[in-house]
Amino acid sequence: MSFTERFSLNFIESNRYRYITAGIKNTLLITVVAAAIGILLGFLIAIIRSTHEKTGKLKLLDLICRLYLTVIRGTPTTVQLMIVYFVIFSSVDRPLLSAFIAFGLNSAAYVAEIVRSGIMSIDPGQMEAGRSLGLSYRATMAYIIIPQAFKNVLPALANEFIVLLKETSICMAISLRDLTYGTSLISSQTYDYMFPLLLGAAIYLFFVMLLTWLFGKMERRLRQNER
Amino acid sequence: MKTMKKAAAMILGAAMAMSMAAGAFASEIASVDDLEGKTIGVQMGTTGDIYATDAYGDENVKRFDKGAQAVMALQQGKVDCVIIDLEPAKKFVEANEGLKILDEDFALEEYAIAVSKDRPELTEAINGALDQMKADGVLDDIIKNYIGDDTKGKFPYESAENIDRSNGTLIMATNAAFEPYEYYDGEKIVGIDADMAQAVCDLLGYELQISDMEFRSIINAVQTGKADIGVAGMTVTEDRLKNIDFTDPYTTARQVIIVKE
Repeated sequence: MSFTERFSLNFIESNRYRYITAGIKNTLLITVVAAAIGILLGFLIAIIRSTHEKTGKLKLLDLICRLYLTVIRGTPTTVQLMIVYFVIFSSVDRPLLSAFIAFGLNSAAYVAEIVRSGIMSIDPGQMEAGRSLGLSYRATMAYIIIPQAFKNVLPALANEFIVLLKETSICMAISLRDLTYGTSLISSQTYDYMFPLLLGAAIYLFFVMLLTWLFGKMERRLRQNER
Repeated sequence: MKTMKKAAAMILGAAMAMSMAAGAFASEIASVDDLEGKTIGVQMGTTGDIYATDAYGDENVKRFDKGAQAVMALQQGKVDCVIIDLEPAKKFVEANEGLKILDEDFALEEYAIAVSKDRPELTEAINGALDQMKADGVLDDIIKNYIGDDTKGKFPYESAENIDRSNGTLIMATNAAFEPYEYYDGEKIVGIDADMAQAVCDLLGYELQISDMEFRSIINAVQTGKADIGVAGMTVTEDRLKNIDFTDPYTTARQVIIVKE
């Protein structure tokens, strides 16, 4: 079969390109929502953990956070996704919501440790200086420590969101139509594997490059005060 | 604290009401005619998937990696029914309470062996071997040995001794989670497809080697030459024929509908 014939069979006939477009939509939606949950929850956990490490307060909350990190980082994402869909939401059919929660909680655990490493890397003198100038602990954290920490961890955060975007390719386990579901479905109907597979790979690559470019832009913007 | 308890109780109550509502509205499917507009669970890429998508539209089909996941979704009310081959369906209904197979079949289909388009001579040779096996009853015996309450286990296939296997190794790609066609008995892959392939190899002078993989990887393995034949209860369809060749069919099978009792 020629290239155009293969292209037509895999993407034009029976409107198969729709599997790809629908897949892209879901893949991006899951990534964005999960990243938002990950950032919110991740920062919260990171602040709790680093506050505990620096001041010894929030003992119980720290314990809960550590338990959370252990469980989430200690089990595969596929398994977590299936537990959310088949066990937690056992009586309703909410694949998209399950994916938001599973990927969001998963990402939060990694974001938390990345952000914590950023907070711990800021010189203790900064906190002391803020406090001696009369700022509260909370204000020092919010206006002095976190902004500097954020700048330091930006490359690591970009890394995490790239992984998150690609990890959504396991959604097939809960019959959610992500990009990989779309390409597999086309293969299963046409028995042509290379073509949809390579196209899927190219689309992931495109979005990861877009993400990398965005983060690069943000990094440069945040570095402007250093000159 | 009190308001938090109240809120928690309300959320719990709402969740319970939702799950009960999901159970109460479980749709009744009694025959193929009732499938219109229902959510159908299938294993991706199987004939059940292809036929159901053709007949009822892509938006009504929920596809899973494995048949077992589709059956789990059925038990939880996430799909209204599951369409799958009869023999695996029997095993699922046996293993899970509250499920039944409808008397009316969804479709009949014929299984064939997948061979790369680059090797027409192999397709020819296998067709010859299948003809011979059909003529002398070997194929019937292999199927009888796995299907049929009276005949099960009574016609085990055994290769004759001193077979010349000078033609080398024939690699068969399969997905050994499809009883009774191919499944693990201890460490060994057995079943109708495995025995049939062994019989073909005995006739053609090959050593058989079975390679277990994901169902959706089988055709790819055959196309790229990582395997010589794909045998996994595969049905011939127009679209598939554009990318792969099939031998003559070696058996017929029935697609059935599993529903909640």
